[in-house]
Amino acid sequence: MATETQTELTYRPNVDICDCGAEVLIVADVPGATPDAIDVSFDDGVLSVHAPVAARTLPGRILQQEYGIGDYRRSFKLGDGFDASLISAECRRGVLEIHVPRLAAVRPRKIAVRTA
Amino acid sequence: MPAFHAGIAPRLEDLRDEFDRLWTSLTAAPPLHGWPATPAERLFPAVNVSESDEAILVEAELPGLDASDVDISVAGDELVLRGSRTGRPEQPAGNGEKPAAVTWHRRERGSGTFERRIELPVAVDATRVEARLVDGVLTVTCPKAPQAQPRKVAVRSS
Repeated sequence: MATETQTELTYRPNVDICDCGAEVLIVADVPGATPDAIDVSFDDGVLSVHAPVAARTLPGRILQQEYGIGDYRRSFKLGDGFDASLISAECRRGVLEIHVPRLAAVRPRKIAVRTA
Repeated sequence: MPAFHAGIAPRLEDLRDEFDRLWTSLTAAPPLHGWPATPAERLFPAVNVSESDEAILVEAELPGLDASDVDISVAGDELVLRGSRTGRPEQPAGNGEKPAAVTWHRRERGSGTFERRIELPVAVDATRVEARLVDGVLTVTCPKAPQAQPRKVAVRSS
């Protein structure tokens, strides 16, 4: 296999996306990604993720190759109403979790109905 | 697949996702010995396997798992990987007493138990198999049994 081209390929990570009301939670599988090098940005309502993966090859003769190795990239159109300054992300064991909080003004609010 | 937006948008987005998946499957390097009868994407975890003079090396992507979550054994001429990956609950508990009302827009990450059997082309020394799991990537080194290792024959000159 042409190992020198591996880092040029990018892959689309599988994700779970959960709207929890106060925030949107995005969980992405990024096995092999270097946690310190992951870039998460939010611009014009679009959250972009780039998780670089260091090139690696198995030594010797390849017998079976079921997946390729390369950086992960994916973007999510979330729209307005999010507080970009409070977006947080952490990566553990090859799983990236991104918390995107809504602006307080647009969070769903439960109104208590008072009885007279 | 759950709709992420209302109206025509989800269909277009789903179509694009399908194309992305197809493109990824086409651009991913195919196995040297052809595609297996069962599509590899249905097998979990996907593996890459190589053979050096000393060992058979198996690499698998297992995001979210700890070393203790994976059971690795050698049975006959097969390496067996077993384990489980827990998914997120449908309704994660909120801050209050009642579970928060949540909506899942995408659930692409699989969960549950898995068992993957990988045929080893040569006899290996099961007592010396080593594995490490770093950043969701499992690497298993199966040293070849002495009789399976290449032997260099010295040629004597008379």
